[in-house]
Formats: sequence, structure tokens, C-alpha cells
Amino acid sequence: MANILVVEDDEIMLKAIKNILSKDGYNVILAKNGKEAFDKLENADYDLVLSDLMMPYANGLEVISRLKNDPAKKHISIIIVSSVGNEETITEAFRLGADDYLKKPIMAGELLIRIRKLLANRAIRHSL
Amino acid sequence: MWRDLVDLLWQAYEQFGFLPLFIQVAFSLIIVAILATITAYSSILYKRYQAYVHEKRLNFITPKLEDLITEQVLLNEKLSMGVPVDEIEFDPVPLSDKIYKKIWVRQVMIDVLIQYRKNFRGDVGELLRKLYIDMELTKDSFEKMKTMRWERKIKAVIELTQMNIPISDVTILPLTNSPNPLLRAVARNAYIQLSKNEPFKFFDIATEPLLPWDQLEMFRIITTTKDIMIPNFSRWISYSTNKSIVAFCLKLIAHYDQKTAIPAVMDLLNNKDHYFRAEAINCLGKLSAEIAEVRLVKIYEHQPLNCQIEILRATGMIASGKYLDFLKHELMYSTNFDIRMAATRAIINHDSDESAAIIKEVMNTTYEENRIIIKHCLNPLIRN
Repeated sequence: MANILVVEDDEIMLKAIKNILSKDGYNVILAKNGKEAFDKLENADYDLVLSDLMMPYANGLEVISRLKNDPAKKHISIIIVSSVGNEETITEAFRLGADDYLKKPIMAGELLIRIRKLLANRAIRHSL
Repeated sequence: MWRDLVDLLWQAYEQFGFLPLFIQVAFSLIIVAILATITAYSSILYKRYQAYVHEKRLNFITPKLEDLITEQVLLNEKLSMGVPVDEIEFDPVPLSDKIYKKIWVRQVMIDVLIQYRKNFRGDVGELLRKLYIDMELTKDSFEKMKTMRWERKIKAVIELTQMNIPISDVTILPLTNSPNPLLRAVARNAYIQLSKNEPFKFFDIATEPLLPWDQLEMFRIITTTKDIMIPNFSRWISYSTNKSIVAFCLKLIAHYDQKTAIPAVMDLLNNKDHYFRAEAINCLGKLSAEIAEVRLVKIYEHQPLNCQIEILRATGMIASGKYLDFLKHELMYSTNFDIRMAATRAIINHDSDESAAIIKEVMNTTYEENRIIIKHCLNPLIRN
């Protein structure tokens, strides 16, 4: 069972994503902002982080940057889920190390497929 | 005790008339100030109490509604089995709970559903819409449209737009021309999003202006809404008497590169308003209307500065090469700095051997200021 950290400041979206992912069998941990995400990342190991971009205290780009610059955590896959759709921000997110990008409003089915695919690729990489 | 107090006040009232005028005025002001303070303080307390009650109600009902949406929509088994949304029936037991009959609960339900719809599209988004319809929340929204209060009307229009519920023309069209700018903008944006066949029909009746900020928002909606029917905007260029609508249509014609609109846009070159003419010239340039070039050069001499600059820019965008001599003349002999800048950029925009030769020739023959202008315009790091 993969551990997924969901970072999102919109509580409705946070709970909704939790419900969708839990139904698919994932262990979901929630964080309401970047700062809370950093605390939770310190205390446990995760397989994937699902993060919003625009958040208080520390934004999504800071979350990616912090994760990818930490040798102990750079293996964690990151999916950005955000309503920010400008090319510069998306490019910046990928440049910093995001693995995927979903623009809100999202499709629940698409989110699940992308997560499954990322985790499967990760498992293949580990086994090699 | 009360009797004594009343007697005392009565005596004070009787003596009040014998007091000096300035004491009377000061005393009256004190009474007014005390009354105003009491009123303001009571009003603040009442508002705070209302907010407290609302917050308490929200804390009570929101988790229930979220659970309902999670069970009925997000975790709906039929949805994951691939059953079409139209064929999915909700569990009637939780939906028939008496609490969902209360008006304030229904309003919170609408707000929560909209919040979910902003985050989810696809089947989940459609099932949220179905829940809104099946719980007859459309009635609540349409009821709000009937009120006289504009802020409630705005709320209703936004709710129906978010839920993609069609609104009849009889109801929404008058609102698109409301004297209230906020209501007008919301109704116009809703009309574009909801009307499948003629999303710009309200342009026909619009007498109220389309404000610059509203134009930006509307442009965003037009360019991001899927499957929107794009008409030929020259229709309003020719017939609308609303200047802001015509100006906006010019922008849309340029954006959608509607070359069939060129004759209608050229008719605007006779307009008395020079700001309007400048916008039309700009549009012709963006459309690369070579057919208009001869006319633009012909009217150049009699135009004010803003139109002349637009003509030079348009000639640069059309870049047929027929008027390079005209541009060279303006660069070399105009006394106006902006004209020389625009002419130089227009020549460079031609990006041909001929234009390069002209630039080279002028660089060798002209005076220092013009050389600086040319160097500035040739610098690729400076955006034109």
C-alpha cells in the first residue's frame, strides 16, 4: 500500500482527494500548506506527493524544490494539481523536478490512472 | 425609584428651555452622540451574532453535506463501473432527509456543490450537476433571480452558470443590459457560457457600455470556453451603435483572424472618432489586410498622431513591400520622434532584402538621432 501525502489548502478538495485515493487502497496523509507538508515529510516516508501550487507559508514550487534537493527524499514522485495553468509555472514545476501536472478542475479517473502509472514506473526503476 | 427618576427627567426637561443656547446645543449634541454610539454598537453586536450563528450552522451542516457528496458522487459505485451519468440514480433515503428542506441548508448545499464543481470535471463534475438538479436546487437559484436585490441575482446567475443550467433569454437578456455594472458583467459572461447557439446575441441589445475590465474577463471566457459558437463579428461592426461593443468586436475579429470582416472594418476608417479609427487601423494591421494598405497610406496625411502611428504599425504588419518608400520618407523627414520610431519598426518588420537595404542606406546617410533610433529598433533584446 503506497503512502501518499496530499498538500492542498482547500479543505473540500483535500477531503475529496483523500476519499478518492483511500477508496483505491492508498494510505493518504493530509497537509493544509507547504509548511505542514515539510513537517510531515520529516516524520514519515512517502511514495508520492500530490501538491497544489498556490498555498500559504510555502507554495508548491518550494515543496518540489525542497524534496528534490534532499538526497534522502528525492526519490519521492511529485504530481502537481493546480488551477494555475500558465506555461511558465508549469515549465518551472517540471524544471524543479515535478513528475506530472494536472490542471484543476481534474477528472478523478485521470488522477488515479496517473498515480498508478507513476507508482508502477517507480517500482520498475527500483527493481532494476 | 422609577417615579423619582421620571420626575427628575421631567424637571430637567422643563428647565432645559431656560438654559443658555450654547448649553442647549451642546446637550443636544451629547444626546445625539450617545444615541448614535448605542445604535452602532448594537448593530455591530447583531452582525457578530449573525456571523456566529452562521458559522455554527456551517460547522454543523458542512461535514454532513460533504459526507453526502462523498457517498453519492465521489465514491459512487456505478460511476466506477462505467454507468453513464444520466442513468445513475441517487440513494433516495439520505436525500429525502428533512434537513435538506431548510432554505439555509439548501444554500450551503449549493455553495458546497459549486466548490466541488470547480475542482472536478468529467463524470464526477456531471454527477455533481445531476445531484444539484435532482435535489431541485435549481428552483432555489431561479427563485433568487426573481428578487429585486441585485447581489442575490448575481449569486443566482453564478450558481446556474457554474452548474451549466440554461437560463431562458427572457430572464437573462434584460440582465445583460442592466444599469448595474456588476450584474451586467455577470449576466453577459453567463450568457456566453450558457447559450449554445447564439452566445453573443446580447450584443444586439446592449446599450450599456462594455467596460475595459469586463472586456478582459469576457475575452478570457470566450477563449477558454469549450465548443463556443464563434460568429462573424463584422455584423456588430456594421450595425451596433454601442462603441464599446464595436471596439471589443474589433479585438475579437483580430484574435479570430476573421478576414471576411475586412470591408466592415475599413468602413470604420470614415468614423469621426479618431480613437475608433485608430482601433480599426490596428485591427486591419493584425489581419494583414493588404487590400486596405493603399487606403491607409492615402488617408495618412489628414490623420491625428495616434492614427498616423497606427497606420505605420499596420503597414509594418501587412508588410507587402509596396510602401517601403513611404516608410523611408517618414523615417527620414518626419519631425516627430514617435513617427520615426514607428516607421523604423515598420521597415524592419518587412524582413526582406529590400527593407534591409533601406535600413543600411538610411544608416549611412541620416543624422545621429535617426541612427540611434534604428539601432534601438534593431536590438533583438528590446521588445517592440
